[in-house]
Amino acid sequence: MSARERDEALEEQLDTVLRSALAGRSRPVPRFEHGSRVPGWDEAVDLEKDPAEIPDPADTDVPPALRKEIEAHMERYPERRSAVLPALMAAQRLHGWCSPQALEQVACVMRVTPAYLESVASFYDMLETAPAGRHRVYVCTNISCSMRGADELYTAVRDAAAGDADFNVRAFECLGACDIAPMASVDGVYVGPLGPEDVPRLLDDARSGRPVLAEKQLAKRPVADPGANAGDQTAG
Amino acid sequence: MPRPQPRWITFSIDGREVRAPENSMLVDAAKHGDVEIPVFCYEPKLGQPVGACRMCLVEIEGIPKLQTGCSTPVKDGMVVYTQTERVKTAQQSVVEFLLINHPLDCPVCDKGGECPLQDITFGWGGGISRYIEPKRHFVKPLELSPLVAIDRERCILCYRCVRFSQEIAEDYQLVLVERGAESYVATFDGHPYVAPFSGNIVELCPVGALTSRPYRFRARPWDVEDAGSVCTFCPAQCNVSLTVRDERALRVLARENGEVDDGWLCDKGRFAYQSFHVDERITEPLLRDGGFLRPVSWERALAEAAAGLARAGARSGAIAGGQSTNEEGLLLSRLVREGLGSPHVDSRRAGPLPLELHRALGDPALQARTSDLEFAHAVLVLDADPVNDAPIFDLRLRKGARRHGLRLAVASAQPSSLDATAALSVRHAPGGGPALALALEAALSDGPDLESHAKAAGAHAAQVRALADLLRGAGGEEAATGGREIVILWGERFASAPNGAAGAAALLGIADALQMRDTEGAGLLEVPAHSNGRGLREAGVLPGVGPGLAPAPEVGGPGLPRDARSIADGLADGQLGALYLLHCDPLRDLPDRELWARALGAASMVVAHASFLTEAVREHADVVFPAEAYAEKEGTVVHPDGRLQRLRPAIARPGAVRGGWEVLAELALRLDLDLDANDGTTVSQALFDAVPFYAGLTLDEIGGRGVRWQERPAASAFPLPDGPPAREQLQPLPQDAEDLAGHRSVWDAQEVEFSPSLEFLFPHRELLRIERPLARAAAAGLPPAALEVVLVDPEQGLDALPR
Amino acid sequence: MAATSTPKLLFADIDEPGLHTRAVYERRGGYESLRKALAMSAEEVLAELEASGLRGRGGAGFSMGKKASFLPKGAMDKYLVCNADESEPGTFKDRELMQKTPHMLLEGIVIASYAAGANRGFIYIRGEYELQADILDAALAEARAAGYVGEDILGSGHSLSLVVHRGAGAYICGEETALLDSLEGKRGNPRLKPPFPANQGLYQGPTLINNVETLATVPAIVRMGGEQYAKLGAPGSTGTKLVSVSGHVQRPGNYEIELGIPSREIIYGLAGGPPEGRRVKCWFPGGSSAPVLTADDLDVPYDFDSMGKAGSMLGSGAIIVIDDSTPILAVALKVAKFYRHESCGKCTPCREGTNWTVKMLERIETGEATPMDLEIMASVQEHIIGNCLCVLGDAMAMPIGSMIAKFRDEFEAHIEAARASRGLGAAAGSETALAAQGAHEDDGRLAPQGAGAQAPGEHAGAPGTQKGGA
Repeated sequence: MSARERDEALEEQLDTVLRSALAGRSRPVPRFEHGSRVPGWDEAVDLEKDPAEIPDPADTDVPPALRKEIEAHMERYPERRSAVLPALMAAQRLHGWCSPQALEQVACVMRVTPAYLESVASFYDMLETAPAGRHRVYVCTNISCSMRGADELYTAVRDAAAGDADFNVRAFECLGACDIAPMASVDGVYVGPLGPEDVPRLLDDARSGRPVLAEKQLAKRPVADPGANAGDQTAG
Repeated sequence: MPRPQPRWITFSIDGREVRAPENSMLVDAAKHGDVEIPVFCYEPKLGQPVGACRMCLVEIEGIPKLQTGCSTPVKDGMVVYTQTERVKTAQQSVVEFLLINHPLDCPVCDKGGECPLQDITFGWGGGISRYIEPKRHFVKPLELSPLVAIDRERCILCYRCVRFSQEIAEDYQLVLVERGAESYVATFDGHPYVAPFSGNIVELCPVGALTSRPYRFRARPWDVEDAGSVCTFCPAQCNVSLTVRDERALRVLARENGEVDDGWLCDKGRFAYQSFHVDERITEPLLRDGGFLRPVSWERALAEAAAGLARAGARSGAIAGGQSTNEEGLLLSRLVREGLGSPHVDSRRAGPLPLELHRALGDPALQARTSDLEFAHAVLVLDADPVNDAPIFDLRLRKGARRHGLRLAVASAQPSSLDATAALSVRHAPGGGPALALALEAALSDGPDLESHAKAAGAHAAQVRALADLLRGAGGEEAATGGREIVILWGERFASAPNGAAGAAALLGIADALQMRDTEGAGLLEVPAHSNGRGLREAGVLPGVGPGLAPAPEVGGPGLPRDARSIADGLADGQLGALYLLHCDPLRDLPDRELWARALGAASMVVAHASFLTEAVREHADVVFPAEAYAEKEGTVVHPDGRLQRLRPAIARPGAVRGGWEVLAELALRLDLDLDANDGTTVSQALFDAVPFYAGLTLDEIGGRGVRWQERPAASAFPLPDGPPAREQLQPLPQDAEDLAGHRSVWDAQEVEFSPSLEFLFPHRELLRIERPLARAAAAGLPPAALEVVLVDPEQGLDALPR
Repeated sequence: MAATSTPKLLFADIDEPGLHTRAVYERRGGYESLRKALAMSAEEVLAELEASGLRGRGGAGFSMGKKASFLPKGAMDKYLVCNADESEPGTFKDRELMQKTPHMLLEGIVIASYAAGANRGFIYIRGEYELQADILDAALAEARAAGYVGEDILGSGHSLSLVVHRGAGAYICGEETALLDSLEGKRGNPRLKPPFPANQGLYQGPTLINNVETLATVPAIVRMGGEQYAKLGAPGSTGTKLVSVSGHVQRPGNYEIELGIPSREIIYGLAGGPPEGRRVKCWFPGGSSAPVLTADDLDVPYDFDSMGKAGSMLGSGAIIVIDDSTPILAVALKVAKFYRHESCGKCTPCREGTNWTVKMLERIETGEATPMDLEIMASVQEHIIGNCLCVLGDAMAMPIGSMIAKFRDEFEAHIEAARASRGLGAAAGSETALAAQGAHEDDGRLAPQGAGAQAPGEHAGAPGTQKGGA
């Protein structure tokens, strides 16, 4: 080991020690090693921060379009709080995820605390509480799809999109399209049945903004019931 | 609004007939039959049951599924079983489920020994475990705020703390995030949970997940004692239970009293006990000697104080602060009036009010109870800011609005924390409260002066009209027959402001217009500026007013009795010489700091009865008597609604501290006045004898819950005024009206400043550092060019510079 | 009964181009039922609904007419909520209706709101159904423009404001009270019942909540008359029902059937049965929350009561077929993981029970279990059933419980095989569960990876001695 390497190694070691000393609690603890953790398992508060109350409109910048959209949603309901989900969705479309900044903006318009919104946002699967790619690929891996190869499909999509920060590939619970199993929802468009061979085009279509796998879209599929389209059979 | 009147019914539990109030929840009803149904999430104080923990499952005849006892209202003839195999199995399984992710670190857990989870596991658990998988892990403990630590592994997700934050304090800062088995309690983006009532979550937590940081690892439940008393840190006077170990208060818990605090405490009440035991506390008598305060014996301190006061004689004044008990107030006023022959005693912050108005406002028929804040049809908060004046009232009002449909209106100069809850918020100019009251009175009688008064108040006439409509229409048609229960919660500052007398008279007019006198549950409720403001007034610590709001006996001293401000004037211009300060630092507690700085500087003798060397004491006191903390005191105080409450010594006095009444009595003896104060009880008895409308009271009658004097027969002895008060003309407001009205938040107090864990709440100001030539350099034997460094509070400006 | 002879009330010409527009829907007689209903009194409409015997198509199967009649009478804000949060695994029938014939749903909603006296309506559609929500929004705008929705509908004096509200991905929001909380902008936690939504629902007001298919059936009932409708189907299960068939069948999809036909006819006749050479191993008759049935149950009539008698339930009408190529453990694990993921976490048995069940199944999969773990798992399911705040816990415990009961041999065989593949000996099957775990503990090789680092107390000391231990 050269002197320089030794120096670097020492520095790195020192860095680790320092960082753990600074953080005070980040030394690895053996009993946490087996992985039975939940997200946020080490979420601490920063005592230097002010309490998170309803944001002050005077020092919260809300993009005018977002404000307008949220206000329009609030008007649709007898109680403005009902607009939380559409408002969070709107903020997510703008920010890419329900970032602290996004939550503060929604909180400011809706006059609720950001904590309230965080609590709601973290409850719903479609609201992202961490940065996520802008193209959503939800692969249904629930039972009906799974029996038709959804788990393999999910792995294939995940691997193909690996490294592409534009993609948010998630294994999703039943998307309500077991008739086209295995299937995926790509930016909200249902496509299926899918095989591993469809994956490259699926990602390409999404990337380029073309209709995704146009011929496999659920929208175009007739109902399975053979009696359904056999002329008016209405009784009575 | 009609309060629930329970009807008693009979139901059967475990084969026994039990009588219980109809529709009470089974877990409560069961207690009437001495049956305990275990619960975790159920806490009636938090509102509607949520049925989340499933611990209280019971069997009810006729219902196939087990039902949660916490959410099932008991009905006549209901047949309930809590001991069947089915119920036992269900209870054991719930305990098993709860424990699979619980770390069982009871030996190192603060809750151990007083933990519902421990107790219920022991009492209702299966005793064995079948779970061998890894548990949920969190780093622990973590800070949740400067006051509370969170251990998420111990959390059983009972929802109590988040329900408190969302439904009681309504601060919505503490929430559950994520879902299912991954949910946990958190705040937004790592912000601390800092809110006026946050400490209540520690007491609510049924496991050791939320612990008090100041209390952590200080004691185990089996080596502490509980001592009940009353917190006198603000006018709300919440009932508390002090956890005492080795004569030290280690913790303060709520001692639920529905007519006072509803079982909650604010963070100051919960954590400021630390100020009892800090090094800064004065524990010995001090005497100024060569410019410095030095410890001396009681003998010497009393002798010096007596000599100084005797020299000034009738040229003495005295001010009692809100932490004084009624007894101390009574003794102080007698000492000054009878011992020194001076009429100059006061306990109010600012502005005198004619005796007739004190009497009119104190009319027992006009006094609202604390619980009326919750059950009224409408409450007007007038020139008061509950969260800063008497925090626990803030929760009461929120509760009323949330649960009982209370219509809340706020009229204030500053934005209020209650604005979001209020149906109507009216803003007026600083000091414009009295004019607003006149405008409202005019609006209620459709009088002609509405516009001009509203203008004088700096408020919109339309808003005042809306306010009048809100009050007149409160409760809708139903209330029109049964009586509209309207409460006006008003701050002392309202009647202390310029035009206070005119405003107070208008307030009485409003009360009459709304028929408050004839309506049960309606009335006025004043929030005094000091904790025991009401008690001190009734004990006669007012200029020219004796015990029981009688005219003070003539003492023959020169001039009219002076109020606090006039005492300062007198000291500053040399007409008065000595000043006795009982629990009062005028530079902090009273308006017009600049005047007081001059007054104190000019006084020949300042005797301070104090706990801390705050500025006035440090710079100006000649003799300092160490004062008791409330946990050391015995005596009585009066709640804003007239409830006499009893302080009981919970801990020993530190150092040489002596009882307040003792010191005053000793001092009086040295002034040749025997106050007949032999022990705490006789002093209290003397108070009850001196105030006609307290007649016949005993300490035993007051007991642990307090007694409202208005509800006793002696209340008829209250000296009602002869007729409607004389009306005064509105005067134009001076420019600095708000300053004159003077207001200080209860959070901006010495007990907050001197409690290490609360220090973060104390409003710190950036101080300016200034160097100036040392004035007395030569006298001190220093070179004439010597500089001294002073720190200046920019808000006070250069005027505040120590001279 | 030949499948094609089934009357099609909901699916008639459903793929007709443009049916999702008002013009085509009206040309086919759409909104005539609404006119007819508005000409009747609300009580008369309600009576028709009750006479039809229509049972809720969302899962619980409660009489629709009765539910509507529970709403208090009198002038007050009353709400109608259409539950379009179709998330029960295997169910996709409402999707088809909303996408292809949204006006039928709207018409049903307006009629139902008239019958129940509701003046504010919401369609809570799951967030994933973006296409369907867009179609509904467009249809709603058309209906509003035509005066079918809004103030004083067709001059009747009845008013209904209607909003399409999109969810954001949470199965539990299909539970009616969780849906209400979600619609109020909260986390979708179920509420305690009582109070029932009919008395205190949305914004504390009386609320009628019905599934999409239920409401979409209303126009047909008004058109035919309740009595006529009741002649379809089976006694106690009147009318036609949409069935979503998925899994191991050759023609997965939605079928409209008359209730009461043999299940075999749906699985084999309509959906084509499992692929060549495969046999039905088990099937969920009503979504993944229903206890599984086996090939022996294929002749059970497909209606509410018969399914109940067979030990399962009709649920949402979603048949998931599993053939003999799939290990039962894989099915159990999928189901359990799904419910663990979707448990809201509010009540203890569901939150902890679903989590524990998954962990036990995973141990079986990795060969760390003994047959006695099956006993524990079965008992955990029993402890969940009936003890939870809502039905989600039961929705896992019932199918898992049924799988353990019906496929115990297969589970045991899997345990043995998985242990063998890890080089472990056969586990004792006859000792007590605790003893089995004691053995498990003593055998160092049995410990899961990293288990040595677990805190003491997680792996208990001597079994049976840990008073109050977890």
